[in-house]
Amino acid sequence: MRLLFVEDSKRLQDSVGRGLRKAGYALDVTGDGNEGLWFAESNSYDTIILDLMLPGLDGLTVLRRLREQENNAPVLILTAKDTVEDRVRGLGLGADDYLIKPFAFEELLARIQALCRRRYARKNALVVIGDLEIDTVARTVKQAGRNVDLTPREFMLLEYLAARRGEVISRSEIEAHIYSDSVDLISNVVDSAICSLRRKICPGNARPLIHTRRGMGYILEIDPR
Amino acid sequence: MNSIRRRLTVGLLTGFCVLWASAGAGLYLNLRAGLLAEFDATLLARAQALSALTRQEKGNVELDFPGELIPGFERGRPVDYFQMWRADGTTLEQSPSLEGNQLSYQAGVAETPRYSDLTLPDGLPGRSVSLRFIPQGSEEAPDVPPAQGAETSVVLAVALHRTGLDHRLNLLVTTLLVVGGLLAVATGFGVPAVVRRGLSPLDGLAEQAATIDVASLQLRFPTADLPAELLPICGRLNELLARLQASFERERQFSADLAHELRTPIAELRSLAEVALKWPEEPAATTRALQETLEIALQMDSIVTGLLTLARCEAGLQQRSCASIRVAALLEEIWEALADPARRKQLAVSWDVAEDAWVETDPAMFRSILTNLLANAVEYSPEGGSIHVRFETGDAPWQITVSNTVDNITPAEVPHLFERFWRRDPARSSCIHNGLGLALTRAFAASLGLEVNAQLTASNTLTLTVRAESASVRSTSSR
Repeated sequence: MRLLFVEDSKRLQDSVGRGLRKAGYALDVTGDGNEGLWFAESNSYDTIILDLMLPGLDGLTVLRRLREQENNAPVLILTAKDTVEDRVRGLGLGADDYLIKPFAFEELLARIQALCRRRYARKNALVVIGDLEIDTVARTVKQAGRNVDLTPREFMLLEYLAARRGEVISRSEIEAHIYSDSVDLISNVVDSAICSLRRKICPGNARPLIHTRRGMGYILEIDPR
Repeated sequence: MNSIRRRLTVGLLTGFCVLWASAGAGLYLNLRAGLLAEFDATLLARAQALSALTRQEKGNVELDFPGELIPGFERGRPVDYFQMWRADGTTLEQSPSLEGNQLSYQAGVAETPRYSDLTLPDGLPGRSVSLRFIPQGSEEAPDVPPAQGAETSVVLAVALHRTGLDHRLNLLVTTLLVVGGLLAVATGFGVPAVVRRGLSPLDGLAEQAATIDVASLQLRFPTADLPAELLPICGRLNELLARLQASFERERQFSADLAHELRTPIAELRSLAEVALKWPEEPAATTRALQETLEIALQMDSIVTGLLTLARCEAGLQQRSCASIRVAALLEEIWEALADPARRKQLAVSWDVAEDAWVETDPAMFRSILTNLLANAVEYSPEGGSIHVRFETGDAPWQITVSNTVDNITPAEVPHLFERFWRRDPARSSCIHNGLGLALTRAFAASLGLEVNAQLTASNTLTLTVRAESASVRSTSSR
């Protein structure tokens, strides 16, 4: 999942950014409103975390412009402004969630996960595909009752594939949603990750769940046509 | 409960009761005295009539009247009685109505009539008059006084039934009691109603006061149509409410400012700690995190200290002292810390401050004011800009102006410069300033009786002026 974090506090950029990356999210960070708007217009984000008091362009203006452009990326407002009027204004302009500083990092993570699920029209935190069970809250995976040990990045990849179950997902889409710009996109990092994931969730290749569509991408399904 | 209404009601009721009772008693006594006087006059007239009919001749006293002329003294349905005694106390004559009974003889009675109440022989209450007189001479020569040594005085007592008088007095008492009772009942109903009506403006005030709480301090007591006695109270209450509202507003603003300004550093601190605990890193990164933690703590300390100083200053609790300060020396001292940043920004700095200019004021607050003004000038001057510091005397005893070029401030923003936490950049991304410098400058200046203001000229020069109206200055020669 790819996130955009627009926050002018350098310290929050560093600490929250590090936490989100450690949690497996691909993350773009900026401290300027204009730059944040540009990022949001140029990329498809699974969630945008937006501060309100920003240099350049304030958060509410960024949000309004995004909604005017019919950009439906989920937006979580993360701000020190705590009055009811502020919340109503933010949510009224199209924000999907509102979190007031100071916040618990775990709560921020949970809200981001909920927004990501909602983006793919999924309400249940538990995704079941055949004998594969993905708990998007506990961030655990079980297959036929046994725990599957995945790295955060692998989990994120599996969650993204499961979120778009039955759809063919191109490499570029995976790159855009799972990897940050720092990754060399010319490399075969996606193929390697898919290969690693397959080994873990389909050890014997008896009944593969991740299928390759040559020249198109990958699809997660029990028995795709 | 100590209640004005109760005290007024009890007081008025008691007062009215005493008044009605006194009036009733006074009226009764007055009327009784009148009736009694009228009765006594009748009694005396009877006695005088009898005395006029009494004759004395040669030492013999005779009543010269036939009983039928004064039928009231006859038997039958007697209503009047009389008895006459010689000077030695022997009965000379008595009315048949006495039927052998005696009226009481009062030997020492004087010439003036003496009245007394008694029980008459028929057992009914009566009233008598006794008088001593010397009967006139014989009928043939009534104007001839008895011979010297032959004259003798007699005592006459006349008594009348007083049943009629007592009946009238009883009727009077009954009437007065009934009227008094009715007045008491009317007073019992009337006084509380009048008191209630009279105190209704007070009740209105009390009701309105009961509705005032922290959330409604903007309310004021209406003074229109208010009794004159309550106007000063309402006026004072309204002033008190205004002061309370301002005080609460300051406190609320202080809390809101503090909460808002601390939210971001606390969020930084919390996320830093939570992420570090969740994903521990190598020692070098931990050291960096601790360093950041310290910076955040210092930033929060700066905010809290600044706000508390401001609050103390605004509440007039800041300690003040007074000393003579050489302005040029103080400016030089302050500038030492700002010279490097000014050099880095290639600012052209000029001074117009007399070497021997002195002011007498609080040294700590004055230093803080000048430090804020100079730091502000260095911070907000663009690269290659200029700063000019001038100390002068003119209309005011003295004033210091710090002017610097600016390129990012509009005239509309100038009035906000002294507001706490106001920063041109709403994002407040900079951790260097806490947004309290100029607010503190104004508060310190006000505390010292100085005036501070800002002006933006058309040439994009921002001038901050500190003006003294009463502080002294010893020399103003220019350096």
